[in-house]
Amino acid sequence: MKSLRISPIGKRVIFVFVIFGAFALLKNSFATYDSILSIVQGIAFVGIASAFLTLLITSGEFDISIGANAALAAIVAGELVAKSHLSLGLSIFLTLLVGLVIGAINGAVVLIAKVPSFIATIAMLFIARSFSVYISQAKAIENFPGLWKGFKESFMGQYFSIFVMLVVILIGEFILNHTTFGKVIAAIGANKEAARIAGINVIRTKFILFMLTGVGAALAGIVADIHFSSARSSLGTGWELYAIAGLVIGGTSLFGGRGTVVGLLIGLLLMQIIASGMVAGGIDPWWQTVITGVIVLISLGIDRKRKKVFVNE
Amino acid sequence: MSEKSVGPYALEMSHISKNFGPVIALRDVDLKIRNGYIHGLIGQNGAGKSTLMKILSGYYPNGTFDGEIIVAGNKVELKSPRDAQQSGIAIVPQEITVAGTLTVAENILLSEFNNRGLKLYSKRNEDKTIETFLADNGIPLVSSQLVDTLTLPQKQILMIASALYMNPKVLVLDEPTSSLTNDEIGTLFAIVRNLKVKGYTTVFITHKIAEIMDLCDSVSILRDGQVVYETDRADFNSDTLISNMIGRSIGELYPQKNIVNADAPIVLSVTDLIVENPRKPGEKMLDAISFELRAGEILGLGGLVGSGRTEILKALFRENNVLAGKIQLGDGKVYGDAIPDALNAGIAYITEDRKIEGLLFNMTIRGNLTASIMETLSAKGILKRKSEKEIAHQTSKSLSVKPANIEEMIGNLSGGNQQKVLIGKSLLVKPLIFMLDEPTKGVDIASKAEIYQIIHDLVEKGAGVLLVSSEFPELLAISHRVIVFANGKYQGEMVGDIDKEHELMLMAIGGK
Repeated sequence: MKSLRISPIGKRVIFVFVIFGAFALLKNSFATYDSILSIVQGIAFVGIASAFLTLLITSGEFDISIGANAALAAIVAGELVAKSHLSLGLSIFLTLLVGLVIGAINGAVVLIAKVPSFIATIAMLFIARSFSVYISQAKAIENFPGLWKGFKESFMGQYFSIFVMLVVILIGEFILNHTTFGKVIAAIGANKEAARIAGINVIRTKFILFMLTGVGAALAGIVADIHFSSARSSLGTGWELYAIAGLVIGGTSLFGGRGTVVGLLIGLLLMQIIASGMVAGGIDPWWQTVITGVIVLISLGIDRKRKKVFVNE
Repeated sequence: MSEKSVGPYALEMSHISKNFGPVIALRDVDLKIRNGYIHGLIGQNGAGKSTLMKILSGYYPNGTFDGEIIVAGNKVELKSPRDAQQSGIAIVPQEITVAGTLTVAENILLSEFNNRGLKLYSKRNEDKTIETFLADNGIPLVSSQLVDTLTLPQKQILMIASALYMNPKVLVLDEPTSSLTNDEIGTLFAIVRNLKVKGYTTVFITHKIAEIMDLCDSVSILRDGQVVYETDRADFNSDTLISNMIGRSIGELYPQKNIVNADAPIVLSVTDLIVENPRKPGEKMLDAISFELRAGEILGLGGLVGSGRTEILKALFRENNVLAGKIQLGDGKVYGDAIPDALNAGIAYITEDRKIEGLLFNMTIRGNLTASIMETLSAKGILKRKSEKEIAHQTSKSLSVKPANIEEMIGNLSGGNQQKVLIGKSLLVKPLIFMLDEPTKGVDIASKAEIYQIIHDLVEKGAGVLLVSSEFPELLAISHRVIVFANGKYQGEMVGDIDKEHELMLMAIGGK
């Protein structure tokens, strides 16, 4: 063990720095505080929405509906606070409850009705998105109360979404890789039958994770409301794809069994750095998505055993 | 380690009966296992072993069967696998079931994690705990190793370790040797014996008699849902065990031979055949072979591996080139020298290597059976599903293929049943000559008996059979005549008689 061995996460961190450095050399203003802040800010909502999704995916299930779920939560919270004038605390609580219920419905359809999670949550994507459009009548909710706006302009308000993202990611990472529950999640994803033999209630565990994912998505919607002081039903469009790309780049197996929430953060950061860097460097933005695709493929080669992401045993 | 022993038995299952609709799976089964014993449970496929174990594991919950289960003197009502575990029953399933992305230690601790909820996990501490546990029980695994990097037998051992960690009162190993080599089986047995020394009680399920003789202290034999025989090590006798398992004595394993009339028509005659060596073009592998096969006759081709037995079959099937000599069908006709010509001439070749040459593994029983008769089952190029199913079902039934569901994938069948499907597939093209190469290789005893019966039925219906087998007693017991080869040369002919094994062996080694 004398030779230098870098952990998969370590390799990815280095990769992020290399890419960032390359763009910084290209354009000096890229390495400024404001620029970095805007990069991190750019991934905050999707990061919050997909942190617990990582746990769900590690258990071998999927949730495509996170973006739509976040939009619905944003609209519900907006309606409650701005139109129904409920207290902030109660509004947030009720909105998280909506996320929980959506997660529970996803869980029930997948685990009880035995619909594959990919399909069940695509259905939920359409349903939740439609509800958010319907409730808001496709109009942005803007008239948030003064307290809300005041918070947004305070020092804390500036960093709020980033702060929440980091907290959620650390909680997710802690649960997944530093608790016994996390090991149970990975075991279910690796081999459901092995978990069952060990006496683990697979259905219950997955159900909890579906609900947790729903709550995480709803939290992202609420935080977006706070950040923008406005709620839009178009929030979260395409998040599921960024989440999946971020997870793959970060080293989570899409077939379950192995996941890292910190890896997700790195994956999202990398994609955002490339996107921002290309804008800053004046490269045609259409290339962004091409590069993102290439990065997803390259990241599969970072670890040699990465094959398993696609070849489910 | 069994704590205070309450009574002599670690496990008692009494008066267990279970039906699936009208089908009786288990009938008043009594199974008593003494503390500290390694108890063998044997029976053919379908005897009821797995049903019994599913009851014991809580998979079929209490109330779906009759009878009672007593673990270490306490009556238990098992409603779930979890109940079974908590009652001290640990079952190691036959299939490898491990979580590959976790370490050895994490796999072993999984059952405990489940009860700990959201507790902190420290890799270092857990590894240390398991390291000690593995060392204490003489289990050769490294606790921090990733399970995906283990070999198959190591995974098997890991499963036993996981079960053991629950400190069970009864450890059940369900056919643990089915995927292991002889050396690996040795390691496994050493571990099981060591567990016995430590006071564990083990139930060892298998259908290999030799393993019972080698390892077990007592045995129960299950047949047709009943315990038909039980005894202790002192009275172990391999013949008795076999005959109880298959429900007939060894002699009855082979069907009564039919009589071949001297005037029965000749279906195949081979004269001075010289076969080319497939690995060395131009050179001969078999020299001047002549024989005749009559309708209703089973002709054995005897010899050691490499003697040329199989090459003759392949030459007749046009897989091997013929350098000289004559191959004639019954009416004196000859056939072309491509495989389809042989098939059209009514020759079926059932190969030694089911896996490579014979079966379509990603298809169902139905698909395999009807693969060769697609044309006759189609009208204007469109397959007639209904008649296909009918024919597949009839064939499968007449050969008693298990499972009875013709939509089952071939890969899920036992070796014996795969062999039956392979024979059935050939049967459907209605050949006149069957060439069977090692038809009972890797097949359990019960299926062997069934395959012998199938071969017997073929000749009863007037076909001629050429049989190659490395098992001399089998070859002699089934065949009417046996012709013997050594190093590609004809050695002589003898009557098929199970008592002439010695004579056959002498001839096969070229000593006459």
